[in-house]
Amino acid sequence: MKKRNGIKGAALLSVATTLALATAACGNSNDANNGKGASSSDSGGKGTVTLTMMHPWTSPNADNEVYKARIAAFEAEHPNIKINQDGVAAAQYKTKLFTLAAGNNLADIDVVWPGADLDPLVSGDLLLPLNDQMANWNELVREDALAGFNKNGNQYAVPTKQNFVDIIYYNKEMFSKVGYDTFPATYEEWIDAIKKLKAAKLTPISLGNKEQWPLQSSYMSTLTQRFAGDDFLQNVVDGKAKFTDEDFVKAVAVIDELTKLDAFNSDANNMDSVQAQDYFIQEKAAMHITSATVNARIRIDNPNGSKFGIALFPSVPGGKGDPKKAAGVPQFGIAIKSGLSKEKQDAALEFMKYFVNEDLYKDLSKAGIMVPTKTNVAGEGEINPFLEELMKLTSNGSTRVFDSVIPTQPSKEFENGLQALTIKQGTPQDVAKKTQAALDALK
Amino acid sequence: MNTLKGTRAAIFFGMLPALLIYIGIAIIPIFVSLYYSFFNWDGISAKSAVGFDNYVRIFNDSVFWLSVKNNIIIMVTGLIGQIPLGLLLALLLNRNLRGSTFFRTVGFMPVVISSVMVSLIWGMIYNSEYGFMNALLGFFGLDSWQRNWLGDTSISMYSVSLAYIWQNCGLYMVIFLAALQNIPGEVNEAAELDGATGLRRVFRITIPMIRSTILVAVVYSISNSFRVFDLVQILTGGGPAHMTEVMTIYMYNHAFVSRQFGYGSAASMLILLFSLIVVSLVNRLGREKDS
Repeated sequence: MKKRNGIKGAALLSVATTLALATAACGNSNDANNGKGASSSDSGGKGTVTLTMMHPWTSPNADNEVYKARIAAFEAEHPNIKINQDGVAAAQYKTKLFTLAAGNNLADIDVVWPGADLDPLVSGDLLLPLNDQMANWNELVREDALAGFNKNGNQYAVPTKQNFVDIIYYNKEMFSKVGYDTFPATYEEWIDAIKKLKAAKLTPISLGNKEQWPLQSSYMSTLTQRFAGDDFLQNVVDGKAKFTDEDFVKAVAVIDELTKLDAFNSDANNMDSVQAQDYFIQEKAAMHITSATVNARIRIDNPNGSKFGIALFPSVPGGKGDPKKAAGVPQFGIAIKSGLSKEKQDAALEFMKYFVNEDLYKDLSKAGIMVPTKTNVAGEGEINPFLEELMKLTSNGSTRVFDSVIPTQPSKEFENGLQALTIKQGTPQDVAKKTQAALDALK
Repeated sequence: MNTLKGTRAAIFFGMLPALLIYIGIAIIPIFVSLYYSFFNWDGISAKSAVGFDNYVRIFNDSVFWLSVKNNIIIMVTGLIGQIPLGLLLALLLNRNLRGSTFFRTVGFMPVVISSVMVSLIWGMIYNSEYGFMNALLGFFGLDSWQRNWLGDTSISMYSVSLAYIWQNCGLYMVIFLAALQNIPGEVNEAAELDGATGLRRVFRITIPMIRSTILVAVVYSISNSFRVFDLVQILTGGGPAHMTEVMTIYMYNHAFVSRQFGYGSAASMLILLFSLIVVSLVNRLGREKDS
């Protein structure tokens, strides 16, 4: 095992170097080397342990500040343990994580995603099973949230927040201007509202799809559930259903319909998700569909927050899924790399016990972020009313997020197909067919 | 000649460290990539040998051929944009205008700024809602010329090309400027005495005198166009829907984003092959003209 990893490391390094030569110096190869350098130069003073940690907490979201403050607090209380942070923008985080994983160069502490994103790390034996440590968290964290990070009976990570990816934020004034005092409850009404917004010269939806995940994750996770039912994605993975099934094609056709209605801002494919949020916050668009985390930025930390409402995707005609459900995923699981020296492993566990505990969940709740705990850790009255509203909205069960079920390659194929639809290329049938083909190619 | 003979060993040993490093980080990885290109490998689990399957799949992938086409667009527009523009700027600056050092610095600036900055700047210029380009056209009453520069697939690749030309033409300006300043003064004086002035001198005297430099610049411009990655990655990410994807982006997406390292290695081999073919063709054409 050890030897194989060594060869793999050398191999990946050379692949990375080829890339660096073939293209202009690419961030990944450099960073891979830096990561390695940092983890091997850990002998600071006597008894000081330096741990490396990679995380995606770089965007202006409320939770990112809480996480970073928590790391700082740990370092202040543990002068003998130093955390070397490597913050990677969320859109590139998974690519870097898996590239480092392929070279067996993971940071000592990593932030990981559940489900299909965790599988390669587990199959490569790259993460430390936390089974004998779980007494620390079993009482605190909900079982269904832990389940996504559990493979073959081993627990590999503990999630730090509960996210829903498909919250529709809408501008109440703009909607009442076109005659909707409450958010449309059915698909027909929703489309009608979009047409009326368009007629009133307003941009109905701000979308930042340059990074391609928003349509896949925030839109299609729920649309798939609404049209094809809760178990559809799992059935596709198990071979019991196909993407080419009529229900799924209908779900994809929604993106096509929205495009044909000109529902999105014209620069949707050149903007990232944060820029699209800005459009919405600056009242340049009537809706924005994104994760629950952004609730803090759009409503809680925004003096004009009360202008904006939240809603879920409406029910669809003939749909097989419950329209009250949101697409949820327990996120930011903290995991420890396997094969660390005893000293480092103890330090990493020490960090994890400190980092992932009730205080973190409490701080997150106060900042307006949902957490995967069994009880309300923040206590009565400590919860912001905007967060309470969000918790109520998402309390009717959850469905799974597209790329937490479907492996990376078909997911990427799907993202490209969806983006093609937004520039009026291809048909929903083509997209479904290609996605199915990419999934079949894996078997 | 004798003195050179005596130092040949010394030259060899002097170059040895650089040679070893070059072999280690450039030559060997090419062969390692070649080896991986025959496997199906996600980087984490075991490799499985698939023979030429990766190559067959690439050749059957319309997206790959689209990326080849986009590379050719970058190459051709780069050639007809960068070289004449670089030469023009160099000729202007060679005339000892007032403030020519200032303009030389300004012209070279885009080469020095990191590609990330260049991409962000052009991203803002091209933005369809608040971008400079559309605002400028609107200011002159040319509203009908306004476009979604990066989102409209019929022109997005040319928008990328324009940024690419802007980024690189300063480099050719400096190369040509150095060549122009190496033209002996007597040649120019003789030309002047014979009555060759202005454009005629440029085409009859100056350009033939720096012909070899131009050929080097052409080869460099072509090989450079196959390496373009960061500009496209940040400006459009290859999107929308692969329409601005070049071969390096295609390779990166498969190897690193979708974790098909074997497939990505095969794509990188093809990049190498294509650039070798084009560069050797250009070299041959240049040599034939010489003889």
